Amino acid sequence: MTNSGTYSAHSAIDIPLGDGRKSLGTLLGLATRLLWRDWRSGELRLLFLALVMAVASVSGIALFTDRLEKALLLESANMLAADRVLGSGRALPEEILDEAKGRGLRTARTLSFTSMAFSDAGNMLVSAKAVSAAYPLRGDIIIADAPFVRGTPIQRGPQPGEVWLESRALPALGIDVGDSVYVGEAEFELTKIIIAEPDRSGGGMVDNAGPRLMLHMDDVERTNVVQMGSRVSYRFLFSSEELLQLDEFEAWIDDAYEGEYRLRDVRDESEEVSEALNRAESFLLLGSLFAVLLAGVAIALTAKRYSERHYDYVAILKTFGCTSAQIGFIYLWIQALLAVAAVIVGSLLGWGVHHVILRALQAVISVDLPSASFEPFIVGALTAVICLLSFALPPLLALRETPPLRVLRKDISQQRIGANIPYLFGVGGTIGLVYWYSEDFVLTSVLVIAVASIAILLSGLSFLLLSSSGAIGMRAGSAWKLAMSAARRRRKQNVLQVMVFSVTIMSLLILGLLRSDLIADWQAQLPENTPNHFLMNISQPQVAGIEEFFDEKGVQGNAFYPLISARVLSINGELPDPQDELEADEDNSTVARGSDTGAEEEGAEEPEEGQVRGRLSRRQVTWAEEIPADNRILAGEWWGESAAAGFVSIEEDYAEWLGIELGDSIEFEISAQTITAEVSSFRSVRWDNMQPNFYIIFSPGTIDHLGATFLSTVLMEREQKILLNELVQRFPTIVVIEIDALIEQIQNIIAQVTSAIELISVLVLICGALVLLACVNATLDERFYENAILRTLGGGKRLIMTSLLIEFASIGFLAGLVATLGAEASLYYLQEKLFGQDFHLHYWVWVAGPLLGTLVIAGLGINSTRGVVSISPLNVLRRLN
Amino acid sequence: MIEIRALTKSVPTSEGTLTILKSVNLEIAESEIVAIVGASGSGKSTLLGLMAGLDAATSGDVLLGGHSLAAMDEEQRAVLRGQIVGFVFQSFQLLPSLTALENVMLPIELKGDSEARAKATALLERVGLGERITHYPNQLSGGEQQRVAIARAFATEAKILFADEPTGNLDTATGAKIIELIFDLNKEFATTLVLVTHDERLAQRCGRIVRLVAGEIVND
Ligand SMILES: Nc1ncnc2c1ncn2[C@@H]1O[C@H](COP(=O)(O)OP(=O)(O)OP(=O)(O)O)[C@@H](O)[C@H]1O
Ligand SMILES: [Mg+2]
Repeated sequence: MTNSGTYSAHSAIDIPLGDGRKSLGTLLGLATRLLWRDWRSGELRLLFLALVMAVASVSGIALFTDRLEKALLLESANMLAADRVLGSGRALPEEILDEAKGRGLRTARTLSFTSMAFSDAGNMLVSAKAVSAAYPLRGDIIIADAPFVRGTPIQRGPQPGEVWLESRALPALGIDVGDSVYVGEAEFELTKIIIAEPDRSGGGMVDNAGPRLMLHMDDVERTNVVQMGSRVSYRFLFSSEELLQLDEFEAWIDDAYEGEYRLRDVRDESEEVSEALNRAESFLLLGSLFAVLLAGVAIALTAKRYSERHYDYVAILKTFGCTSAQIGFIYLWIQALLAVAAVIVGSLLGWGVHHVILRALQAVISVDLPSASFEPFIVGALTAVICLLSFALPPLLALRETPPLRVLRKDISQQRIGANIPYLFGVGGTIGLVYWYSEDFVLTSVLVIAVASIAILLSGLSFLLLSSSGAIGMRAGSAWKLAMSAARRRRKQNVLQVMVFSVTIMSLLILGLLRSDLIADWQAQLPENTPNHFLMNISQPQVAGIEEFFDEKGVQGNAFYPLISARVLSINGELPDPQDELEADEDNSTVARGSDTGAEEEGAEEPEEGQVRGRLSRRQVTWAEEIPADNRILAGEWWGESAAAGFVSIEEDYAEWLGIELGDSIEFEISAQTITAEVSSFRSVRWDNMQPNFYIIFSPGTIDHLGATFLSTVLMEREQKILLNELVQRFPTIVVIEIDALIEQIQNIIAQVTSAIELISVLVLICGALVLLACVNATLDERFYENAILRTLGGGKRLIMTSLLIEFASIGFLAGLVATLGAEASLYYLQEKLFGQDFHLHYWVWVAGPLLGTLVIAGLGINSTRGVVSISPLNVLRRLN
Repeated sequence: MIEIRALTKSVPTSEGTLTILKSVNLEIAESEIVAIVGASGSGKSTLLGLMAGLDAATSGDVLLGGHSLAAMDEEQRAVLRGQIVGFVFQSFQLLPSLTALENVMLPIELKGDSEARAKATALLERVGLGERITHYPNQLSGGEQQRVAIARAFATEAKILFADEPTGNLDTATGAKIIELIFDLNKEFATTLVLVTHDERLAQRCGRIVRLVAGEIVND
């Protein structure tokens, strides 16, 4: 061929060029073949494993959480006898019931009123409750044929013509099952004894006036007791298996009645249950967040390693004519295939995981779990895709930029995308994911701040460590020298590794500590021997007799609190000016405050008055020599042994609500007299402990002369309840409130929540272990290579193993230490802000954390790198090519 | 076939701009066999890389098969490389996760040729590795690896073959065999061959020797 010698594009040596476009089929085929070859050679396995792990843990935990949450709600719905309740002191519009039926909801209605019940032998004030045929929609009524026994569950109320009574009404009326009971103008036959009623704790004032008498709704008219103006509580009950239906119905009521009627669920009903559920939900959320975070870290690590190993691959492909766009397409396709496979395998695995958990849980979860929804799988798949996009895409996209010249000069790598861009992407992706997942600012910020501080802390620490390690290395043996120089050489990598290790260990520590603190808190709240009966309306002379009765029967009695109703008239001579909010507990007597019904019921009687400026509702107050257990003085001082009259201690929130200061002089109206007392202390009160709790406590001698009734509590096991009969017979005027069923219900819910929390902790622990393994593996190549060279240079097995051990142990120790710091700081934030707990340092963790890090990382590292010394150096070098 | 006009390459370094190639001019005709020789660091690999369109020049132009590289971006150069250029490297550059066969198949597959397997197998047999096609690079000796690389270079039926010190990592005897193979195949496929080498004896066997000193052609 002749040289044209010109700069012509039409010279004789022109070689025609195609447009270089490759058919989609060619590219897809190529990408799929690459994927398959990579898979076969093990290159992709770690990445795939990390993805599968992400999908499996997230979907597994989400599935489990989803079903468990439903189950817990269902279980606690028993406390309402329904999923939603609408209550009012006035008759409720019938259209609401019709609308609910029209929407396919199950409905029932109840009507509570106080009335006298008569028998041939006596009479008694009872809390009557008429129920429709469908009652209860959730939970069981426990009935028996004799008073004070265990009873059996039934899902309906009495038939027309029948009444059921609570045990303690029988001795007072002097009747037995089968006898006649009269309510108003109607006669009934007593057919069953009510041992427990699902929504017994949920009622208002009219439900606490005396023992329960239950009758059929159709009999109400016959009694002619309920008339215009009588104190009545109307309730509509609703339930449905579809949460959505309930929500839609709720929205409809809001809309149709412009907020006049509000549906209540179990969270409105019981503070204890609501808090337990909230905490459990937060914990489960936190658990799955950590699972996502850890899975993300694993994906980031493996994706980075994968792409590093692919630089040469891409350079060759480019040398042979692949354009960047085609490279991008190939790797996107590989990722897509990988993601699809991982989502399928991961979802299956996640489903399996959650089934294993359910198996393990069957013993504790008494209710049938509602079937799982499809959402957790979507969440799992989305997590995988987002993880892949933010963690794997940047390094893989960087591959696009690999210059083909790399085939001639190895040191050339991608330059256009900064080395830290992938991390930025990863960090951004994680934050986004965490926020999307939790929709919770506190959680997101805790995680972000914790991880960010770890990163900063580590940079500083590693700098210090590496500048001092030289000096140590000088003095120490050669294994130390070797380890320290290795640590220095891999400084950047090691910092990253310590970061991954410490984030992992931190996640596990946070969950572990939170778990034990929550459980301890619950156990302290309702310990095994929580008194489960309230005795009220005890007169002064009866106190000694009752104490004697308990002694005689071997029952553990408790302190007697005088009880008297009081109203704040003025503060420092001025009318009280409460902050805008109506006392939250005023008309919704929660379980906590419902338990000290005596202390609250007066308030409940006049709910409207709380709102009127200058005239506060009445509160039950007491006086005491000693501060009640579970109360803590926050400001001022409790009167000591030699208590002077004229002082008062106020609960902190109440004080704040009224703007009371220490030393203020407050005027009370008690029994039509005016009493003045000086505020000497503010107290915190543990409202959730189901014990008598008071907003206002006077010093002894201040109001003693005004005449009070007494309140006490007692713990009675099921088999001891028969004693109530005798007690009520001997002291007919006292009122016994049985909260044993309620306490049991709450303890049951808490037990289930506890085991859920334990299980999530274990799941996340497994995720964490996998991340640690992935992280150790990610740097394996280099260690293999270095140590093979060391061995060819004559390093002995012992020397190498020892140096590896030292290197890993130092990394582990550092990671453990940083993790402990991070965990304690995060816990402080989480417990104070999210879980409403008091934070305290966990001293033992400061030892256990670093120790754990050292042992685990050294163990994992040595186990993974054992191969270094057992394979011949030649093979290691060849294997790594 | 290849026409180089005032080709200059400089790179920024910490001590200022380093000019590796200084206004190089060169023409290579079809089927010519050219050896580029010179001391280490004289810019041989850089020149080869620019000629093959693996990198962009600072100024000047390369016409490869009549196509001006200066006017092309990396994407277009990639297309050009895929269609008319083949490579053999000193360090073989086989992909460790692929077998010998798959390494040779890769560029053929990239072209969308459905007979990749048959063609690659034939080529491997031609370079004497018919028995080793399922072996991975780390199971092959250096010489064997280079033979796979040569098979791969010819697999695309490239018009121009660039070889950067193809025997640099091999002993003399093996190197000689590899060179024979390259020359044989070169004759068979009638390719233009540009060879960078340190080996004077090898250079003598080429039709033409271009000598580089500090980025300038001093002898042609
Ligand atoms: N991207 C770059 N950045 C900095 N310096 C470079 C770069 N590319 C090449 N050089 C320098 O340019 C000079 C020429 O490099 P080149 O690789 O072309 O030499 P060579 O002749 O192939 O040498 P050898 O025979 O050792 O392979 C060298 O000094 C090299 O360090
Ligand atoms: Mg060179």
